[in-house]
Amino acid sequence: MKQEKKTRHYTDFSLLFAVIFLLLFGLIMVYSASSYESSLKFNDSAFYLKNQARATALGFVVMIVVSRINYHIWKAPALFIYLSSLILVFLVLTPLGVTKNGARRWLDIGISVQPAEAAKVGVILLFAAYLCKYGQKLTSTGTGLLICLIAAGVPAGMVLFITSNLSSAIIIFGIAAVMIFVCSPRTLPFLFIAALIVGAAALVVYLVMHGIIPEEMSYRMARIRAWLQPEAYASGTGYQTLQSLYSIGAGGIFGKGLGQSTQKLGFVPEAQNDMIFSIICEELGLFGAVAVMFMFVILIWRFVVIANNAPDRYGAFLATGVMAHIAIQVILNIAVVTNTIPNTGITLPFISYGGTSVLFLLFEIGLVLSVSRSIEV
Amino acid sequence: MSLKNKRKTNRESDPAGFDGKMQRKLVVLFLLVLLAFVALSYRLFLINRDKGADYKRQVMRQQAASSRVLPFKRGDILDRKGSKLAYSEKVYNLVIDAKMVLSEEGKHIEPTMTAIKRCFPEVDTGEIREYINKNPASRYKVFAKHLDFNEIEPFKELQKEGMETDSSVSKDEAEREMLNGVWFEEDYERKYPGNSLACDVIGFVQGGNTGFFGLEEYYNDVLNGTDGREYGFMNEDYVMEESIKPAVDGYTIVSTIDSNIQSIVEKHIAKFMTTHKDEYRMGAAAENIGVIVMNPNNGEIYAMAGYPSFDLNDPMNMEGVDLTQFIPEGLSSNEIFDIKEEGEEEELPDESENGEASVSSDEVKKPEDPLTAARNKIWRNFCISDSYEPGSVMKPFTVAGALDSGKITGNESYQCNGYLEVGGFQIHCHNRLGDGLLTVQQSIAKSCNVALMDIAFATGKEQWLRYNRTFNFGYKTNIDLSGETNASDLTFDESMGLTDLAVASFGQGFNVTMIQLAAGFSALINGGYYYQPRVVSEIRNAEGAVVEEKSPRIFKQVISESVSAKMRDYLRTVVMSDPHECTGWSARPAGYTEGGKTGTAEKAPRTKNDYLISFIGYVPAEDPEVLCYVVIDTPNTEIQSESTRLATRLNRDIMTEVLPYLNIFPTEPISEEEAEELREKQDEFYENSSFFGLSENMIPGEEASENEEGENTGEDGENVIVIPEEGAVPENGEEEAETEPERDSAGNPIVDNVIQYDPATGYPLDPATGEVLDPYTLQPINPAGGNEYRPEDEAPGDDGGDGEHDA
Repeated sequence: MKQEKKTRHYTDFSLLFAVIFLLLFGLIMVYSASSYESSLKFNDSAFYLKNQARATALGFVVMIVVSRINYHIWKAPALFIYLSSLILVFLVLTPLGVTKNGARRWLDIGISVQPAEAAKVGVILLFAAYLCKYGQKLTSTGTGLLICLIAAGVPAGMVLFITSNLSSAIIIFGIAAVMIFVCSPRTLPFLFIAALIVGAAALVVYLVMHGIIPEEMSYRMARIRAWLQPEAYASGTGYQTLQSLYSIGAGGIFGKGLGQSTQKLGFVPEAQNDMIFSIICEELGLFGAVAVMFMFVILIWRFVVIANNAPDRYGAFLATGVMAHIAIQVILNIAVVTNTIPNTGITLPFISYGGTSVLFLLFEIGLVLSVSRSIEV
Repeated sequence: MSLKNKRKTNRESDPAGFDGKMQRKLVVLFLLVLLAFVALSYRLFLINRDKGADYKRQVMRQQAASSRVLPFKRGDILDRKGSKLAYSEKVYNLVIDAKMVLSEEGKHIEPTMTAIKRCFPEVDTGEIREYINKNPASRYKVFAKHLDFNEIEPFKELQKEGMETDSSVSKDEAEREMLNGVWFEEDYERKYPGNSLACDVIGFVQGGNTGFFGLEEYYNDVLNGTDGREYGFMNEDYVMEESIKPAVDGYTIVSTIDSNIQSIVEKHIAKFMTTHKDEYRMGAAAENIGVIVMNPNNGEIYAMAGYPSFDLNDPMNMEGVDLTQFIPEGLSSNEIFDIKEEGEEEELPDESENGEASVSSDEVKKPEDPLTAARNKIWRNFCISDSYEPGSVMKPFTVAGALDSGKITGNESYQCNGYLEVGGFQIHCHNRLGDGLLTVQQSIAKSCNVALMDIAFATGKEQWLRYNRTFNFGYKTNIDLSGETNASDLTFDESMGLTDLAVASFGQGFNVTMIQLAAGFSALINGGYYYQPRVVSEIRNAEGAVVEEKSPRIFKQVISESVSAKMRDYLRTVVMSDPHECTGWSARPAGYTEGGKTGTAEKAPRTKNDYLISFIGYVPAEDPEVLCYVVIDTPNTEIQSESTRLATRLNRDIMTEVLPYLNIFPTEPISEEEAEELREKQDEFYENSSFFGLSENMIPGEEASENEEGENTGEDGENVIVIPEEGAVPENGEEEAETEPERDSAGNPIVDNVIQYDPATGYPLDPATGEVLDPYTLQPINPAGGNEYRPEDEAPGDDGGDGEHDA
């Protein structure tokens, strides 16, 4: 733990503003997208909104508190937090686990939380702490990389196999990869690995396209087929994607106007959740969608600035990890909504409905704000 | 480790912030992220540009799931008394929404299927299960059609119960508990309460709202309305609201057809067809038969019928329809076939260059399914769609043209020696011995071909043709029924030669339709005014308000009033003369005066000796109120040319029933035999309860045969019947004396009948009641001079066959 020099502290208001904007905008969109469904299900059009607002308020408090705490206090218990998050994931298998929408991803501990979100934070904290300490060794030697791979692979694998949550696994792995990449003095091997992954993905797609992989292989293959031809699977796997595309198409340049979506009336599944971006497209059009993306760009740009200006490497890695998390998740979400990649359940940070997600995200923002506070101006 | 740019040194044991490479990498990453966002934005743009319109439509279509069509109700067809000839009844289709049935893990399937099985035993639930398993996303599939409200009510009750059983859950929830995915779509079904009544006039409806034939086709657009729509949408509170654009129901048309008269006509046609079936050769009583009853003073059609009739409620079903003359042997009538568009008009090219060979409206033999051909023939309306050579019923038109053009005065006399030599041919009169010296009136009464040829020659080709066109032959009458033909290809034009004119004078060598002839004949006798014949008098909207009133339309005056009066005089003698002196006496309904004209047209090819016999008559003879035209094509008798009485009898039978119904009272004394016959008939009417107690649902034609035997056997043996009927005639002849000298401008001797007068007023007395009659219809006059008829002629009551001319 380091002493903070009581000089003038820098608060990144651009970042704060972008976050608050996205949170408020998220609440509006959650209400718009969910009110029909929630009035049908709960006889209360604001049911989702209230839940989300509560989580957001709590998260906001957490963010403020964390931003006031010297971020170095998280360095020592990093491994502990990391392992704890793994245990949480493991707990899904116990009776504490809750099945929602056919997937066992939640823990019921008074409130239901998604341990995968905790795992993401755990990985960020762990890698920030250890890359800071053993950066060179970990990222330039084979053994070091292997250790890194294990440290990222274990939570990713657990999330994937225990909670069947491919997207969270990808994000966890992605966060680690980005942090290692930034830390490592080398570049080429990473490009090589990236090319390898892209190539492998392309091969799988090719095989699926040409029917070499039998149809009944797994539901993920079905998703790939639905991705390639959503119309052909309109009644099944491709339904959500197709409805999402319909929404985007229906929105046009300026959209139908806030609250005017018709696709949210029972047509787009998870309208307030994974597919909220399609409702944004329908109601606010291309214009609104680009504006939202622009807000995320600002956000990510602030992370880069904070990381590059962080007074120490630990803070820089924390900011990098959070940036990686949010950037990957946003890109994946929008890519799914636009059917750019196969459908995988992934939420849009700050905007999609989901208490755990917003809570942990705001915790991360708190961390970054704390880092930014330590930047002397 | 090394340099950090904008940063002030403030780090201790930890390595300082990112080094340059790390910073660069991070910026590169940021650029990659930026690139990804740009790519995604571009992707959004592409989706909108390439598929935007398509997806918008898809979204609209999905929303349309909450909008449904409200079908309009096709308008009724009423007869002139307001009873329904056709109406549309609301029915329901059972629709399965597979997605809804299968929703919520399929917990609705069982209760829903059980309920369907219970309420609609005729619906195969196995089929439904199979369908919903195969098409789980289907939202609309009809499994039962045209259920009436009583049939669906039990199911609707169950649906309601399902909603009420568990009050702890919300209404929506409970409904989902029980029956799901079943709803009833409203529709309309066309019903014809008269079944086959006036089938040729009404036509029928296929595919929901498309009329075929008759009024249904002609007035299709009027009868049809506009579909409405029910939209469901969410209001701001996300409550399903319904916005209804109601359907506009179709207009109702009021027909001039009178169900009772139509029933009478159809009954007698059916009776005729039954009585004379297999009479001479095996087969139908006639190839075709058509009857038109109309008002000659305004063109309104009271009844129009052909044979055979078919059930309008099931027009495809030909069971129970006499198909014998339409279908070659050994063919089943179970084949399915398509509906033909219109009643096509088959017309042979004109081959009647010199009147030698004539033309017929026989169907052109096409290589089409014989059943289809038969059905088309049965559906078509013989009275307006088929043309034929009219025969002697044309004679009054020839005479009227000659008189109106001034070419003859009516005072001429013509010598008939049995034939006339025209263009090297001997064209014979039906009476080959010759009718002797005939006045114009007698030439009509006796239907003398030779005299008529002379009259036509006196008129000349141009004038004859002009009057032929004036009487609208060769043109459509524009009757408001679909499928009318004008037969214009089969009429004469300027190229007609002398022989053509000769045979045309007595109605051979060119074709007419029944409606053309009836409309023209109306003008001939009503003072010369040609009315457009019509079947609809009024159009009302769904609320009953009159939208359009179709008043009588006079097209033209074809002949002068005085010529028309003279024609009535002449035509009267056709029926009212001594049976020896006329051809149409047997058409007269007892107690009435009638004018008219017989026709016996030889059909082409002449060698077959097939004839088309007809009679057109009107009552009363002096002031026509109702006109009846009967055509029998190729009667099933040994010598068809001698069978004209079949047509006159049919005319009389129909008139006998129609006249009292129309409140036209008898004016003439009724002889004992006639009274006896009337009583017999009356018994029969009551027995069949088809005369006074006519209902909408009566099926005409069923009661035809039994009671008729006695009468008909007497009538059919032509030679036998002559004697007893002859006995009755002189008596009539003595009693009936009623002429109109002022019309008898030529001063020609005419038949005089004696009627009884009221000595005080001089007005005629009703022979039945002894009451003084209305002088408007019957003017008291002095008996005119004696007869000059030669008693030698044709057999009484039998029309002379026309058109026998040797080549």
